[in-house]
Amino acid sequence: MPEGLHFWKNHDAASVMLDPDNLFWGINARQNHPDVLIPPAILALYEKVKNQLKREIKEFRFGQELTAIYIDPTDRCNASCSYCYISPKTRKNGRSMTQEELDRVLEKIAAHFKGQKRKQVIIFHASEPLLVKEILFNAIRRYKHVFKFGIQTNALLMEKKDVVFLKKHRVGVGISLDSFSPAVNNRQRFSREEKGNFAKAVKAIEWFKGYAGLNVITTITKFNVRDLPGLVKFLHGKKVPCVLMNPVRFTRAPIAALKPDDAVLTRCFIKAVNTAVRLSKTSSHKIIVGNFTNTLLAIIAPVARRLMCDISPCGGGRCFFTITARGDMIPCGEFTGLKQFCGGNIFTHSIPEAMQSRAFRKVRERMVEKISECKTCAFRNICGAPCPAELHSLGDMYQKAVFCEFYKNIIKFAFQVIAQDKVRYLVRSDSWSSLTYKYCLN
Amino acid sequence: MRHSKVKQTIDSGVIKNRKSSSVLSYRLKCAKTANGLSHFVMYGDVPKEKTVL
Repeated sequence: MPEGLHFWKNHDAASVMLDPDNLFWGINARQNHPDVLIPPAILALYEKVKNQLKREIKEFRFGQELTAIYIDPTDRCNASCSYCYISPKTRKNGRSMTQEELDRVLEKIAAHFKGQKRKQVIIFHASEPLLVKEILFNAIRRYKHVFKFGIQTNALLMEKKDVVFLKKHRVGVGISLDSFSPAVNNRQRFSREEKGNFAKAVKAIEWFKGYAGLNVITTITKFNVRDLPGLVKFLHGKKVPCVLMNPVRFTRAPIAALKPDDAVLTRCFIKAVNTAVRLSKTSSHKIIVGNFTNTLLAIIAPVARRLMCDISPCGGGRCFFTITARGDMIPCGEFTGLKQFCGGNIFTHSIPEAMQSRAFRKVRERMVEKISECKTCAFRNICGAPCPAELHSLGDMYQKAVFCEFYKNIIKFAFQVIAQDKVRYLVRSDSWSSLTYKYCLN
Repeated sequence: MRHSKVKQTIDSGVIKNRKSSSVLSYRLKCAKTANGLSHFVMYGDVPKEKTVL
């Protein structure tokens, strides 16, 4: 048996082989035999390409450069979501950047990337960036030729004219929505004035009217887990092109009480993906579940992956980092409030200083080879054992991932989807058209 | 299985052929660079005009 290969019978009885270090895989979909059967042609192909693939994966995991910076322009929020990774005290009393401070930050980032051909990505993120809408929109106007912009919002302050502005400037927009049911959504995404963001978020989604840069982010808890398939259907009806369905992260102690049951989560998530496939196949509008698409890409096109949470080391402090409203540079927003993970302040330190800081290195040094649960797992470079901030908050960054069993089942499901040739319904059309075969056996 | 005939997909001028069978192994790569894309699927890659999805 070639060293490094894992073999198993998948859920659909197909035989699967996978090398976890270079992500070479093969599927034999014959279902009438109880044993794992891998044809010699796959093994021959493996021998031919394995070293090249290993180099490619190594470069992808350790050689990727900084391409995106998150800016949290304010600590404050007009909602109080039950699972927020920012403490209630900070959300209530935190500070906001001034226009001058935001300009200084963007100038410093622009100077850092000066001379590079491509535009870097700036994403305005948590708490609620639209609380300082004016300074953000001024920045977008001023720097639109320098950066690509994105914004993540609960939409409570979104107005129709803002939608026009964001579409005009091709800003990527993420809107938070947890259910098609107002009651379920508003229980999780509560706001004092509006009693929840459901009505405003749905109105904003309708204003965007199928905008290609729109996505919806859903945080999965035990309260909305059963709504996932219905939410896909609801968003498809609103012409949303992409939804991310992320299990809740345990970055603060009280959040653990919201954990969905692993088996229920797996079942409902798979049902949501199957709903997306069915709707995309039978209508003129395509909707993808973005994080499942990323899992698929991890198998069929590993270096085309765009979400960096399921790569090891993760993208935090490597491909992206976060600048807080105080100017602190932290590896990822999930590390907000964890002082030992501050790599310096943008007003007094340089970006290279932050990238080389002990805080950032600590996150980059965490890789699946050092995690005992992952050492023997075939899926270690598909799931990446997220998330270091969450696991650090739970006491040890190197412990088993909270949703390990869920990820394992979803990856097995992804192999099933590949065997059933449904991949094209699960990848954005523009992404699909930019992919070509490196090799193909059959 | 569904892999019983030659499949042809035409996407933005790129023609993809794959002869289908019950035995599968393939790897895709980006024909265009993924540069400029952030770690989220949704940010940084908004096409110039609305894409019909």
